Amino acid sequence: MLAKRIQPMVFQARRLYVELMFQVMGRALQAVSEVDEKVQNEARALPDGFLFEMMVMPAGSKLIVEHTGQGRFRYHGDKAPRPVDLSIQFKHIAHAFLVLSFQEKTSVAFANDRMLVDGDISYAVRMTRVLNRLESFILPKLVAKRAVKEYPADLHLPEKLISAARIYLKVATNFVETVRA
Amino acid sequence: MTNKYYEFFCPVKVIAGKAALEHIPYELTGMAAKRPMIVTDKGVRAAGLLEPVIAACEESGLEITTIYDDVPPDSSTTVVRDIAGIYRQEKCDSIIAVGGGSAIDTGKAVNILVSEGGDDIAKYSGAGVLKHPLKPFFVVPTTAGTGSEVTSVAVITDEAKGVKLPFTSSFLLPNAAIIDPRMTLTLPPHITAATAMDAMTHATEAFTCMAKNPLSDAYATAAIKKISQSLLQVMDNPKDSDGRLELAQASTMAGIAFSNSMVGLVHALGHSTGAICHLPHGLCMSLYLPYALEYNLETIREPLGELLLYLEGPEVFAATPASRRAEASISAIRKLRDALYKRCQLPRTLKETGKVTEAQLDHIAEMALDDGSIMFNPKEVTLEDARAVLRRAWA
Ligand SMILES: [Fe+2]
Repeated sequence: MLAKRIQPMVFQARRLYVELMFQVMGRALQAVSEVDEKVQNEARALPDGFLFEMMVMPAGSKLIVEHTGQGRFRYHGDKAPRPVDLSIQFKHIAHAFLVLSFQEKTSVAFANDRMLVDGDISYAVRMTRVLNRLESFILPKLVAKRAVKEYPADLHLPEKLISAARIYLKVATNFVETVRA
Repeated sequence: MTNKYYEFFCPVKVIAGKAALEHIPYELTGMAAKRPMIVTDKGVRAAGLLEPVIAACEESGLEITTIYDDVPPDSSTTVVRDIAGIYRQEKCDSIIAVGGGSAIDTGKAVNILVSEGGDDIAKYSGAGVLKHPLKPFFVVPTTAGTGSEVTSVAVITDEAKGVKLPFTSSFLLPNAAIIDPRMTLTLPPHITAATAMDAMTHATEAFTCMAKNPLSDAYATAAIKKISQSLLQVMDNPKDSDGRLELAQASTMAGIAFSNSMVGLVHALGHSTGAICHLPHGLCMSLYLPYALEYNLETIREPLGELLLYLEGPEVFAATPASRRAEASISAIRKLRDALYKRCQLPRTLKETGKVTEAQLDHIAEMALDDGSIMFNPKEVTLEDARAVLRRAWA
């Protein structure tokens, strides 16, 4: 509680940002799964109706998507229709912020013990690859290189989807600069 | 590739060296344990490895309450339930696992059931399910490789469902690991070689993969040095108990390293090869290690080059230009594999195993991409990459 009094604005803003970014990623996951073959191929190995959740511990923001079959994802907002099959949990909102503002790669965050996996590890590995692919779609090349291990050479996606996502990125970049200052 | 943040945890008391087994009674009474159960397998019993453990306890007036010696190589939920039943029936209060990976994993799983209650071990599967410390638990490794005595993981097969259940919790870690050279003295040559190469791979991957950190680095390099210095000596003179102790310690140190910084592509490929072709884990490690390092080379040039000092010693290290050290490290590992092949025909390629067909490679590659270890490989591995590494490892 003490910390809240010291930096209320920063905390509030960070929480809002993480919430916003979860929404962006949820929608983008659904959109990308409709057009990108690589994401579809990864997703196809998941059972139909498979529910994936990303959340901030202990009971913070959430992102829930469902694999509806044929490699397609559906974004469910932050409400799961039934218990989830795989949950990736950030230990603290600060860690979620590091990853979602693309300051720390998803795989590095795993390596750094920033988050926990609850569920089948092989599905977590698969979802990490999907998230990597997604990040390279949303982000300009320079930032994406930081966010994913390797930048794929074969990204073809409708300009519209990319530009929409990049608007959020602008918000993100401004935000990171504000918070860092 | 330095990490700005890391965690390191190893609360296991290591009791190592000559007459280490004789410390077991003291350690047990220190935890108020009076009725220990031994969990082991037939091989360990047949090799006469239980006698020194039992004698050490009895001499101090501590009776082993019961012995379960029928742990299979791939332990199952039924076995775990049966052992927990015997434990309860005999009113035991502690567990001593004596053996390799399977006996140790079984001991960990039994400890969950007898501490938390119930008969259904599957209920406790996953990460972070356990919230309380378990019963006193001691591990006496009889192979020098897996490092299971210092890892917080156990894998148990659910036969009915045909799946492998993972259990992860720091409460699975034993209270103490007892490393006594007598326990590995009679290991046959090919198992000595394969398990030592497993430890070598743990240390090498810990040192070159994404979650490396300064503390695990220290354990990893020390382990590599011990294995490089002692493995061939022990192969030539199996009764060399000093060399055996060096390898056993190296295995524990490599275990501490990789349980804190994870492993990578070698283990991903090894796990899937083990599942599909039923090859021993250590053998797979030895087989894939140089090929995976070659694949990762440009991402790990610096740390891999540093390892040359521990693989070949200061003279070779100093005589090798910095820009060639990473390649020299891989050559050193190849050289070691050739020497092992000469001494016990430990296969260096998939073809040499005689148990893998070229048609299985695609399946191995696909399965490796789903393995948890691949997440920590420094280079992002695609299906094509995995296939390419397998083709190089073929012959
Ligand atoms: Fe291993």
